[in-house]
Amino acid sequence: METQTPDFGDEVFETLKYIIDPEIGINIVDLGLVYRISLDEDVLEVELTLTTPGCPMSGTITKATEQILLKRFPNLDVKVNLVWSPPWSTDMITPEGMRQLEGR
Amino acid sequence: MAAASTSNSPARWVVLPHYAFAALSFVVLSVLLLFSTDAFGGHYFNPKLLTLTHVTVLGWATMLIFGALYQLLPVLLDCRLYSEKLAIYTFGLLASGTVLLACAFWHFQVGALLQVAAILLFAAFLLFTINVFQTARKAPKWTIEADFIVTASLWLLVTGLVGVLMAFNFTYAFLPEQHVHYLQLHAHIGMAGWFLLLIIGVGSKLIPMFLLAHTENTKKLNWAYNFVNGGLVLFIFDHLFLHTVFVPLYAALVAAGVGLFLWFLYEAAQTRQRQDVDLGMKQTFVALALLLLPLVLVFVVSSKGSLPQELLSSLYLVYGLSVFLGFLSALILGQTFKTLPFIIWMHAYEDYVGRFKTPLPKDLYIHTLLRWQNLCYLAGFILLIMGVLLRMPPVILAGAICFTVTALLYATNVFRMLLHKAHNLKPFTYGNANA
Repeated sequence: METQTPDFGDEVFETLKYIIDPEIGINIVDLGLVYRISLDEDVLEVELTLTTPGCPMSGTITKATEQILLKRFPNLDVKVNLVWSPPWSTDMITPEGMRQLEGR
Repeated sequence: MAAASTSNSPARWVVLPHYAFAALSFVVLSVLLLFSTDAFGGHYFNPKLLTLTHVTVLGWATMLIFGALYQLLPVLLDCRLYSEKLAIYTFGLLASGTVLLACAFWHFQVGALLQVAAILLFAAFLLFTINVFQTARKAPKWTIEADFIVTASLWLLVTGLVGVLMAFNFTYAFLPEQHVHYLQLHAHIGMAGWFLLLIIGVGSKLIPMFLLAHTENTKKLNWAYNFVNGGLVLFIFDHLFLHTVFVPLYAALVAAGVGLFLWFLYEAAQTRQRQDVDLGMKQTFVALALLLLPLVLVFVVSSKGSLPQELLSSLYLVYGLSVFLGFLSALILGQTFKTLPFIIWMHAYEDYVGRFKTPLPKDLYIHTLLRWQNLCYLAGFILLIMGVLLRMPPVILAGAICFTVTALLYATNVFRMLLHKAHNLKPFTYGNANA
């Protein structure tokens, strides 16, 4: 993660937690789908992936990420890149995500 | 990092009419079942049973599979569907062909009506196969799923071709053997070639995906593909030209293929990260368990042995029921609630996510109805096969009533989802996202 200030990075991740993967019911951050965020001047860039290539959710999650970040940070330009490398695996789920998956 | 493409999903009008038609077909077949209890007392070559079978395999199962595949092919093959227009034409041909075929069989009009229906259906299968094949050609990587799906669509075409030949044979009698001989061929190519291969191909990808399970080794699936196809080709060759006693051996090959598929799923399930199993997946597991029944019965009916003719006739019927109203229907009843809510949700909320609080796909249907649907289905299926085995029409009728209730509950949930519209959405207020 490349950010200008740690607080800002946390704020971006907290904002992205509002986007829920509709099939699994867990937010995309705890599911480990958000690979990297960076802020270069006024451009906030996010790299994220999906649980499987070809997932029909690609357009929806990309658009949701853009919309929620633009709403939260109206003074920034938001750029979302969908990537498949490294491929997502269940190892990327955070402990909080695992807790939710196991229904604890 | 390589950039990925955006969504490959087709338009909603390509997919959703298939679900609507399939739900109505399920209601129709359940109602027809209520009026067909007398048909289960004899041979399977009976106008009412032919009607029920074809409404089930075409209007219900194939229709839903076509619709679901148009949505899933881009997921499975990682590319856009070759032609949405072709998919809509295919829907029209399949729907009209199914209705005409059902009318022809119910009234046993085996002339022009049956022939027109058969040609419409064959045209539907041809367009579908072209669409699948061309889509697979565009895929960035040819996978084992592509092998299964493309081969299944080719077998569907062969099933349709045999059906056309039989439809014309009623009038012109040009085939050398009796009609039932080709009916067995037609049925087994459809069951093992079309349904089984397709379900293995799609299921081996989707079921682990829904369970969040690791599935990197596809060796078992490769062998499953070889065994099912090998068994089917040998069966066809033998059935047409040799007439040996080795049919149980070919059945064993197909059963071994299914066994490998189930083993693959079992190993995947061992690595699953997702512990909560929703009602749709529970019903899918019921379907996979029900698959064992036709696998056992295929040996009984293919070896025949010294069973009394009356019992053998009943076992043939139970064998057919266990495939069409057992495994296939159970699977569709479960997987509808894994695919349709997701499709509806995506179309209804795509523009709102990230700006408004949206429901989840699982919030789009009534869980209580789904729970009762699954229970009524299982009760109906058990009653139906018991009634057929014991030759007791009242028990068959009780099963048919349970099936009708199942179909009505299913159709209620399906049409509730199909008619769903986003409304009264509240914008986000930021706080604790996980709260």
